[in-house]
Amino acid sequence: MKKPDVKIVLLGDVNVGKTSLLHRYMERRFQDTVSTVGGAFYLKQWRSYNISIWDTAGREQFHGLGSMYCRGAAAVILTYDVNHLQSLVELEDRFLGLTDTASTNCLFAIVGNKVDLTEEGAAEDQEKEEGCSREAGSSCASAKVSKQVKLEDAVALYKKILKYKMLEEKDMPAAEKMCFETSAKTGYNVDHLFETLFDMVVPMILQKRAEGPPQTVDISNYKQPKQTKSGCCA
Amino acid sequence: MMNIKAFQLVSAIERELLMGDKDRINIECVECCGKNLYVGTNDCFVYHFLLEEKTLPTGTATFTATKQLHRHLGFKKPVNELRAASALNRLLVLCDNSITLVNMMNLEPIPTGARIKGAVTFALNENPVSGDPFCVEVCIISVKRRTIQMFMVYEDRVQIVKEVSTPEQPFAVAVDGHFLCLALTTQYIILNYNTGVSQDLFPYCSEEKRPIVKRIGRQEFLLAGPGGLGMFATVAGISQRAPVHWSENVIGAAICFPYVIALDDEFITVHSMLDQQQKQTLPFKEGHILQDFEGRVIVATSKGVYILVPLPLEKQIQDLLASHRVEEALVLAKGARRNIPKDKFQVMYRRILQQAGFIQFAQLQFLEAKELFRSGQLDVRELISLYPFLLPTSSSFTRSHPPLHEYADLNQLTQGDQEKMAQCKRFLMSYLNEVRSTEVANGYKEDIDTALLKLYAEADHDSLLDLLVTENFCLLTDSAVWLEKYKKYFALGLLYHYNNQDAAALQLWVNIVNGDIHDSTRSDLYEYVVDFLTYCLDQELVWKYADWVLQKSEEVGVQVFTKRPLDEQQKNSFNPDDVINCLKKYPKALVKYLEYLVIDRRLQKEEYHTHLALLYLEEVLQQRPSTNDKCAEVTGMQAKLRNLLQKSDLYRVHFLIDKIQGTGLHMESAILHGKLEEHEKALHILVHELKDLSAAEDYCLWSSEGRDGPYRQRLFHTLLAIYLSAGASDCELVVAAVDLLNHHATEFDASQVLQLLPDTWSVQLLCPFLTGVMRHSIHTKRMTQVAVGLAKSENLIYSYDKMKLKGSSIRLSDKKLCQMCQNPFCEPVFVRYPNGRLVHTHCAASRHTNPNSSSPGNRT
Repeated sequence: MKKPDVKIVLLGDVNVGKTSLLHRYMERRFQDTVSTVGGAFYLKQWRSYNISIWDTAGREQFHGLGSMYCRGAAAVILTYDVNHLQSLVELEDRFLGLTDTASTNCLFAIVGNKVDLTEEGAAEDQEKEEGCSREAGSSCASAKVSKQVKLEDAVALYKKILKYKMLEEKDMPAAEKMCFETSAKTGYNVDHLFETLFDMVVPMILQKRAEGPPQTVDISNYKQPKQTKSGCCA
Repeated sequence: MMNIKAFQLVSAIERELLMGDKDRINIECVECCGKNLYVGTNDCFVYHFLLEEKTLPTGTATFTATKQLHRHLGFKKPVNELRAASALNRLLVLCDNSITLVNMMNLEPIPTGARIKGAVTFALNENPVSGDPFCVEVCIISVKRRTIQMFMVYEDRVQIVKEVSTPEQPFAVAVDGHFLCLALTTQYIILNYNTGVSQDLFPYCSEEKRPIVKRIGRQEFLLAGPGGLGMFATVAGISQRAPVHWSENVIGAAICFPYVIALDDEFITVHSMLDQQQKQTLPFKEGHILQDFEGRVIVATSKGVYILVPLPLEKQIQDLLASHRVEEALVLAKGARRNIPKDKFQVMYRRILQQAGFIQFAQLQFLEAKELFRSGQLDVRELISLYPFLLPTSSSFTRSHPPLHEYADLNQLTQGDQEKMAQCKRFLMSYLNEVRSTEVANGYKEDIDTALLKLYAEADHDSLLDLLVTENFCLLTDSAVWLEKYKKYFALGLLYHYNNQDAAALQLWVNIVNGDIHDSTRSDLYEYVVDFLTYCLDQELVWKYADWVLQKSEEVGVQVFTKRPLDEQQKNSFNPDDVINCLKKYPKALVKYLEYLVIDRRLQKEEYHTHLALLYLEEVLQQRPSTNDKCAEVTGMQAKLRNLLQKSDLYRVHFLIDKIQGTGLHMESAILHGKLEEHEKALHILVHELKDLSAAEDYCLWSSEGRDGPYRQRLFHTLLAIYLSAGASDCELVVAAVDLLNHHATEFDASQVLQLLPDTWSVQLLCPFLTGVMRHSIHTKRMTQVAVGLAKSENLIYSYDKMKLKGSSIRLSDKKLCQMCQNPFCEPVFVRYPNGRLVHTHCAASRHTNPNSSSPGNRT
């Protein structure tokens, strides 16, 4: 098995479409998926690098595994459903804490999936507004609802995350660059999302290589993210 | 998910062998070390068996266990765990919270009575840190709350090395180096017992469900996770493999690469670590022990012991391929790489790739198939042989055995579906075209090219011709039959040509042009044949088809003689007389050929020039009576005639004058007279018969081209004389005379002209002439004076040199050697170069270079 150079993890509430996003990118098609059990991972060859992408289970039952999956990750893709505000709220409440084990310079992308189901995303009209998108499977494929989550909400969350991580906004990629709206079903923005991230993690791989990677992660040497420049004292 | 058969469940110890008919006796634990199989029971017995493996002719493995002995340990408690330490010849027995050491062979307790007390459970470190081969490292979960202890166990003593306390009560442990993987009450952790640093893995409630902690390799563990997951974790706390999905009530797990085996109360399940898929399910009731011992997987109920025998990987892969599960087969094969010697693996893997390729091919997944064929380095003929009749009859190829696929041929594969058949053929075309120039083709280029030719011919593909006109290895007999079958006669000709059978090629093409056989490949086949003959080195063939091409078109056909490549003209060229003889029947071709000889090749032979002039003349004469008005072609032919007459000096003038007499071709006869130096006559014709005065003037100019001044002067004087002799009555000629003088002043000798002119002419009339003449005369005078001056000074320089050289004498002695031949001078005659070097006269005469080559000089 090829050794991955870097890890990217998909996090998000159940049924926001993490597996579908990854499937759309890797297999170039959309298919109905069943709720992910535990987690799955893909190895993507990007230029000369091997990037492992972990798809995690959104179900509460597997929530405890998230920290381990995130350990040492170079980037985390926080996924929500644009038609379901709670899925964005969950990102902050439940999933952000899992990323504490990610590498200190971890990148964050916030992705609103299922834009194809919104009125803006599709021309057709629909009958019901009720968010049946929570139900497993694709029973709601025909229901068009008005978008509940705006891109600005995601941008705000991104800035919150940086604050939570005690990172300076100017040291990190701009929020506008890291917030995406996608549709795994139509493929809208999916390649853009992954490839933007890949391009961003490549310098991290090079940096890691230059430092001479240790065979194992030295857990005794774990450093807290830099706090010297924290915003609150400025 | 379809199943594959990865393991076979085989009984190892029959119930009778252990306990006979005593129902209350249960198996508590097993240990296997090489051929030694140990069983611990609830009534405190340890049994020792020898395990013999046999493979039946059917390929299935069987085991027979022979009981060696059994020993009661002296307690009333069950034997909880057994571990063999073969290097120490010791069996570690956990019973009644105490680990005792017994001899592996006779099960006698060791005399020292060394033991580890207070152990709930224990694990051996399979990646020991001490480096001492006669010592095993044992980790126990102590009866003390939240305590782990590390021991070194030697042949007859034990030594505690470390005690660490854990944040919660541990339930299960596995060890790798300094790392302990622990199942605590609420979570799994990795604990470095050397540094004391711990790393959380994930939450798990060990009190609710029995945890599993299983070391699966260097620094990697397999853990029972939430929701029946089998989670992989490294000592760094990272998961490198996706989890496998077990049932919720899993009670044991084992590893047999590349599989993870799990046991629950009803089934043994087999998952692949390579793709995390479940591969096999074996019903197994009441199992309670599943363990692997150096690759041997043992499963036990409380009454019997069984072995899970892995089927050979190759067999598994073949099973997968047989059910067309290409991806899984390849993943399994790739995963097996590290378990199989490299050479053997490569042969096996290549074959699997090829088989997989054919499976994809049969499903018309051509892109995938191509990639598999390429990476599997498939002998292309395997693929070609699927297509009926494509391999040459002479090919020695036989399909590999055992076969790579199940298909007899394409008809069977496509079940006669024409569209599919066509797709397959298109694929083979592109595939062969791609590989034919690569090293894959080495050794069977003939087979590939012949097959490709057949495909192209059948599909009426444009590339057929490209194939035949570039380097190829198409076999003649096979290809010829096929091309004839598909009426590709033009291509067949190319094939013959490529095989140096130009005669056959030409015969075919001529037949096509003649309409005897039909092939519309080229609409310009006639021109193609002409071109072919032009470059054909075989003269006989050219002669053979010369009449044919000329009959088709004289102008085009003659090219076989006139357009031959330049290098051929030097040697081995056609004899012009033979060609002329041949062309007699084809006047137009003959003219073209003579033009080629006279104008292009500049042959200086009178016959050709005369012949060509005569032919031109005949043509001009023939066209003349019919068309009195000067149409373009008449002048064209006439211009050619005039040009030839003017430029060439080789034709027989008198002969042509005879021919031209009385035809009214004044210009031409003037030219001919000019050739005889009869300029007066020529000019007379031009002035009086043709009445074309400017032509007369031109005549003076071109006739004197390349001649000296006086010659030209004579011509102009002659013309002037003709103009003047007509007398004043012919006004037109008088004007012409004046113009002639004024325009060509310098061509005349003024003194002579002035005497000829009538006295009545005014100076004003001749003003341009007179000034021109004067200027010229003065210019000439001055130039002459300059020349005289220069000549005089040059003469002076030479006189000076001569004086200088004569001034000193040269001594010739024995010591002086000729600078050329290095011999002494024997005679008083010598040559002296201006730079002072002396040479023999004969040396000087024979030399090509000056002895001092840098300064060539005159001899003195």
